Amino acid sequence: MNISQRNDSELVSLYIAGDEKAFEILVNRHKNRVFTSIMLIVKDTDVAQDLLQDSFIKAIHTMKGGRYNEEGKFSSWISRIAHNLAIDYFRKEKRNPTIQLEDNIKAFNSLTYAEDSAETLQIKEETFARLKAMIDLLPENQKEVLIMRHYADMSFQEIAEATGVSINTALGRMRYALINLRKKMSTSNKVYDQNLYPQ
Amino acid sequence: MTKTFTHNELIQYVYNELPAEQTTPLEKALKSDHSLAGTCAELLAAKRNLDKLRPEPSVSCINNILMYSRNFNL
Repeated sequence: MNISQRNDSELVSLYIAGDEKAFEILVNRHKNRVFTSIMLIVKDTDVAQDLLQDSFIKAIHTMKGGRYNEEGKFSSWISRIAHNLAIDYFRKEKRNPTIQLEDNIKAFNSLTYAEDSAETLQIKEETFARLKAMIDLLPENQKEVLIMRHYADMSFQEIAEATGVSINTALGRMRYALINLRKKMSTSNKVYDQNLYPQ
Repeated sequence: MTKTFTHNELIQYVYNELPAEQTTPLEKALKSDHSLAGTCAELLAAKRNLDKLRPEPSVSCINNILMYSRNFNL
């Protein structure tokens, strides 16, 4: 079987046995999802990239140090590391805020997509900005569950344990988060109706 | 008799966490209960929209991680 078709658990085993290619596949498989979940908390691209590196470095130490617990999913595990680092950073920043030269939305939109045309890039950036703004408007407990479940790939049971609530509360918060987002999207679409203003 | 499903079970279904033995009855209920199907469609639409938010880290950021791993030996 081609190595890229192997599941995460098999790739972790190969990596622990010394196969660096297996790690490269794991990183590429999960980098965007983990990066997005960090970005939704810290909002700054450079900081998010630093935290992404720190997360994978922690994972390297744990796996190569023979301390990896194979009971859970790799995706949830790496996401949990990233989430904890991002929350730690966010709390420190709240206590000692640094001046941002660019506003957060602009920083979020500064990502480059070499394969996209300028027009496609602009549409993507506008979509990101709108969606990001909508997520930011959610109550904190709904936003937290949404990031953990949708972007960090944690199960509702894992979220319940990590946040100290029952699974029904976690499910309820996710439900309200999706309903609230849907409402905001409907309102947003009425303002900019693509049928009236075709691309 | 068709089982009644809660909104929390619908969320579990949307995120593929509903136990297999409940998935078939739920899908059956979705065919006959238009209100449940409408709610499910709304949740799925919101979930799909969230997938549009996928920024990527830079190539150099990923290369740093891979290089660190290659050079790290205990």
